[in-house]
Amino acid sequence: MPDDPSANDPRTIWQNQPVESSAMTLETIRRKARELHAKTRRELLGNIAAPLAVIVFSGLGAAIFNNPMQRTAFALALAWALAGQYSLHRGMWSATLPGDAALTTGLEFYRREIERRRYLFRRVLQWSFGPVFLAIGALLLPIVTGGIAERGVFRNMIPFLTLLALWIGGFFVVRMRQQRELQREIDELNDIERDNRR
Amino acid sequence: MGGSESISSGEASQDHLYRDAANQYGSALERLARAYEADPEKRRDLIQEIHFQLWRSFQRFDARCSTRTWVYRVAHHVAASHVLRERRTFSNLVNLEELETLPDKTQGQFAADQRMNLERLSVLIQQLKPLDRQVIISYLEDMDAASIGEITGLSPANVAMRVHRIKNILAQRFREGGKYA
Repeated sequence: MPDDPSANDPRTIWQNQPVESSAMTLETIRRKARELHAKTRRELLGNIAAPLAVIVFSGLGAAIFNNPMQRTAFALALAWALAGQYSLHRGMWSATLPGDAALTTGLEFYRREIERRRYLFRRVLQWSFGPVFLAIGALLLPIVTGGIAERGVFRNMIPFLTLLALWIGGFFVVRMRQQRELQREIDELNDIERDNRR
Repeated sequence: MGGSESISSGEASQDHLYRDAANQYGSALERLARAYEADPEKRRDLIQEIHFQLWRSFQRFDARCSTRTWVYRVAHHVAASHVLRERRTFSNLVNLEELETLPDKTQGQFAADQRMNLERLSVLIQQLKPLDRQVIISYLEDMDAASIGEITGLSPANVAMRVHRIKNILAQRFREGGKYA
């Protein structure tokens, strides 16, 4: 339609785009509601799998090993993981909007989402990864300290320790970059809110 | 939540509100989903999620704002959450200011073709951060500044400034038919 000036008008193009009808029947919606509950339960079970492994592993470690330092570290990891599960799942996150979402504006909602992400990362780091690192540390403690005396054993451990250090380092680098991005977003939203008040 | 025989009056009103909204804004919601998700499969899921959350939200509808504002807020919130979940990183999303300086990725290709123009428009919108996306979608849906402000939470001056920028960007990218600018 080159002769029609509205053919290049973005609003006309946008509003006249072909759409498929994807309205949901109320029965489908109710089924989706039931599925969401089931999905939340599955997520909850999936999320406790790794900490559960830490709890079992630390419990066994605390019972089996004789080194008092090692046993204390395992016991601490166990307590930390248990407390973490309570803290993380007290308000289980699910893929639903908060009830008052429609009462908030885009700006408020977006800020809330960004802040929730930042907060979630800190909590996961504190309650999920903390006990994992401590349990790994407890396991490695006698191998590393004892291994230093026996150079051969320690040398054999170097590839594993290097990989572990790289994994931990990589995890923190990626997460820190995400945190910086989140902070930049928050700064940008602060600027917009400052402009709003003018 | 079983069969239809156990539906309470609250649920009936919720169902009624949802049905009206879906009839009236169904097409607009489809367009909105297109602005947030390029992949057709994921877009279908996103539309379903928007409809589902819209239905749920009507449990709390108290007419403090218009149904249109309510519907758009819920839809934008669901879609923005989807973007944050899917992209995980913001580094490849830009705001309007940055978009002005970016080259048009599809420039020169079948400029007069309506379908291609829609594709260009969608690509342009999908580069934006959620808040600017809300403004541009509202503008394309012919909303006035007051309505855009009500949905986004931006002040009238802020909305005016952003709409002005949007018009400039669109005029640059779709210069041939520049009637809208």
